[in-house]
Amino acid sequence: MLNKAMLRGLLIALFFGTVLFALIPVHVPRPSFIPGFAPPPDMWPRTVSILGLAHGLLAMAFAALGGGNETSDEPERGPASAVEWRNRLIRLALALAAFAGFVVLVPLLGFLASSMLLALACFLLAGASGRWVAVLALAVLLPLGLQLFFGNVTHTPFPSGSWSIFPTLN
Amino acid sequence: MWNDLLFAFESVATLANVLAMGAGILAGVVIGAIPGMTGTMAVTLALPFTFYLPPVTSILLLVALYKGSTYGASISAILIKTPGTASAACTVLDGWPLAQKGKAGKALNMALISSCIGDFLSNISLIFLAAPLALLALRVGPPEYFMLMAFALTMVASISGGSLLLGVVSACFGLLLATVGEDMYGSFRFAMTEDMKSGLSVAPVLIGLFALPELLRLIMFREENHGQAMKLGDNRLTLAEFRGSLKSIIRGSFIGVVLGAIPGIGPSAAAFFSYGEARRSSPNSENFGKGELEGIAASESANNGCCGATMIPLLALGVPGDVITGVMLGAFMIQGLTPGPLLFQNNLNEVYMLFIGMMFSSVLLFGAGKLTVRFFSHISSIPQVLLTPVVLMLCIYGIYSISSSMFDVTVLLVMGVVGFIMLLLNIPRRRSSSPSFWGRCSRTICAARWPFRAVIRPSFSSPPFPGFSQASSCSSSA
Repeated sequence: MLNKAMLRGLLIALFFGTVLFALIPVHVPRPSFIPGFAPPPDMWPRTVSILGLAHGLLAMAFAALGGGNETSDEPERGPASAVEWRNRLIRLALALAAFAGFVVLVPLLGFLASSMLLALACFLLAGASGRWVAVLALAVLLPLGLQLFFGNVTHTPFPSGSWSIFPTLN
Repeated sequence: MWNDLLFAFESVATLANVLAMGAGILAGVVIGAIPGMTGTMAVTLALPFTFYLPPVTSILLLVALYKGSTYGASISAILIKTPGTASAACTVLDGWPLAQKGKAGKALNMALISSCIGDFLSNISLIFLAAPLALLALRVGPPEYFMLMAFALTMVASISGGSLLLGVVSACFGLLLATVGEDMYGSFRFAMTEDMKSGLSVAPVLIGLFALPELLRLIMFREENHGQAMKLGDNRLTLAEFRGSLKSIIRGSFIGVVLGAIPGIGPSAAAFFSYGEARRSSPNSENFGKGELEGIAASESANNGCCGATMIPLLALGVPGDVITGVMLGAFMIQGLTPGPLLFQNNLNEVYMLFIGMMFSSVLLFGAGKLTVRFFSHISSIPQVLLTPVVLMLCIYGIYSISSSMFDVTVLLVMGVVGFIMLLLNIPRRRSSSPSFWGRCSRTICAARWPFRAVIRPSFSSPPFPGFSQASSCSSSA
């Protein structure tokens, strides 16, 4: 049965296995000449990936044998209904879409407008919709204040975007 | 000598010097508390102002910024589970659980007191042990550096919650991230995009792993306090609690002094060393990671213990140990002072003034810490649904301002998602290794010409940098 500990071991093994067998052969080229006893460039990524893969398999083995210690970072949650799980996954997907949208929109809208949209999305997704005034004020004023601060104090050149919604503030 | 000291004391005790130190420490604490803004940034920003200040005042301003930012990083680590800088990553482990129990004030006070003691002992060591520690630092070559960092990584694995196996997996993940970028042959590892050729910066990786998963957890589960304000709680540190942590504070300060004096090790590794050692030797070891004051004391005394010690190689040898002391070297040169053995011969009065000023800044750090604890404690009364997205904005702007690179912001967001997956799977998130770890490791093997000889017979007892001179012919970079 695929319990949480087993799934964890499987994902760890899959991740390091992908790095070892798919990424390293393609993305870690070996130079034609390696001087003396110097280690080849793929030695350390391979060593770490093999170690990670072995530990992933070990975690699976422990889970199968009924072991697998839990750490205390995340509290145990009670069972949730299918509807609740669907809502949770939708909210998570929307948050990831907001992150991706921010990266895509910065070259178009500029850093400031994109940050305002991301902040607004995060406030609403986090469940602050009942505090409309605070949400709107923070979503607009916080990025504006931060951009003014960093633009003027550290002279950070924030991208204004090809659509140039806001003029350059610094 | 006593006359010189008295004269130096009189020269330091001016309003301009006290104001410069006070402003530097206050600004440093605030900057350090903002995720993404580092002490390096604070010191670099202040460098232009030093043109207009007398030599000692300008150096004291920079030192005060450095100390303040190192302490300030613990505030966000305790209150919002986001280490302001990498050196406070260990403080999160016990600071945040204490804050959740309503003891944020106690945790902040322990962080402040242990930071001040660590800082004070570090200054004492700078004054009395500069020469032997500088000699020790000179003898640390790539093999010793590699061994120290490898030991720090074993600490990371061992302090990772209840599972050593998952701790090792976490350390492997960090080591794998450290391999990204240019290698010692000039070719590139995992350079899937042009930006990845220069590797992954520590700040976006670390802040992404710690800060963003909280936002994603809040969004997905909506269970964090249900919009209620987190109470600051009891903030008085009892004498018994302080006495219980005193051993860890002294040991942490000593670890910070030794590792701070060695160029390239830094406060982050010192904090992990100290935390691991405190956990190993404490009678309350089972409480570490669940809200143990001794854990905060060990971590904070070690990272602030590095502050004075990083000045040792700079003042005694003219060798900057890290980026911050590199900037300070620039400030010294601007003021017409040349750090190194001749500084003690030609500018003894300035050196004494600097020493006394640094001692005084430890006292100011305590005062500034007490002031800002009250101010920052209000953060804990902000509802999580408003605070967490604000932290995201601070992280995004802070990270972008470091390098003006959207790639770093993308790394921050991606690492946030990775950190959330790790959180869901109960895989501990600790810290990634420095990319220089692999470079030193390769140089060690390259210089020893046989991997195990480097480990069996390290060059510590031989003259300074024997391996480095050989290895540098093989490689100039990681």
